[in-house]
Amino acid sequence: MTVVSDDVVGVDTARARASWAADDPWVGELRDPDGAGRAAVLRLRGLLLRATRHQVWSLRHQLPRAGAGDLEDLAQQAADDALVDVLRRLDSFEGRSRFTTWAYKFGILHGGAAVRKQAWRHREVPLSDRLTVVDRAATPAGVSEGHDLAAAIRAAIADALTPHQRRVALALLVEEVPIDVLAERLGSNRNALYKTLHDARQRLRARLAEDGFLDHLPGGSTR
Amino acid sequence: MTHHDPRAGLTSDQVASLLLDSAPYLSCDECFERLDAYAEAVLADPRHTDVPLQVHLSACGVCAQEARSLVELLALDG
Repeated sequence: MTVVSDDVVGVDTARARASWAADDPWVGELRDPDGAGRAAVLRLRGLLLRATRHQVWSLRHQLPRAGAGDLEDLAQQAADDALVDVLRRLDSFEGRSRFTTWAYKFGILHGGAAVRKQAWRHREVPLSDRLTVVDRAATPAGVSEGHDLAAAIRAAIADALTPHQRRVALALLVEEVPIDVLAERLGSNRNALYKTLHDARQRLRARLAEDGFLDHLPGGSTR
Repeated sequence: MTHHDPRAGLTSDQVASLLLDSAPYLSCDECFERLDAYAEAVLADPRHTDVPLQVHLSACGVCAQEARSLVELLALDG
């Protein structure tokens, strides 16, 4: 019996993926600077337009005043942006999926970003680091578990989070500002804001657990 | 979409989202890197799991919408 270590299998798998990716006709043709390459780029742009149109129409409720022509313009512009992005990152395609699926996700990304940017173009992005709520349960009958939880959450937001964590968490989760729109307004990026949100959630969960509200926390106990 | 009314209090969805357990941590870029393979795997087998990715999708609304849209598009292609 031949014994093959996991490491060897891992290397072979990586080589197979790299080989598959390099042999993919799409990838090869897109690297060709001549006629075949130009035809492949046109075909790729058509593929990306299919993805951006799908995404733009999926999110059209965010642009209630936009007509079909406006949506098509957005999809076309997003397809151009996606094409530049795909060609720039072609070497990072490793063949973990079909090339067309890999390319589609760039169309989805740019189509969505275009809609959200347009939807928030003239809208103020609220950036408050305070949550000043009068909770609904503050009635004689509301001196209850729910009232206690609401008060505990308000206290945790005020005390356990940094001002930056409060602004980001409240903008994303209470005001429902899309993460890429907020990132642009703050001169930041999705990764940085999501990490801030992740840390804020961990702090809120830890504080609520300390305060005895563990049973109310979604997803079980804090980690 | 309107701004949060400070008199209205937090909704149950907002409370759940604020207190969501988003561990294990996965960045939006890492989610994007894995999304194409995940979408194909889910279409091939709806029981397919990728826990870090699925936790991220439950915690990041924009990434979740992009994942749904990609799966829908692939399904349309058959």
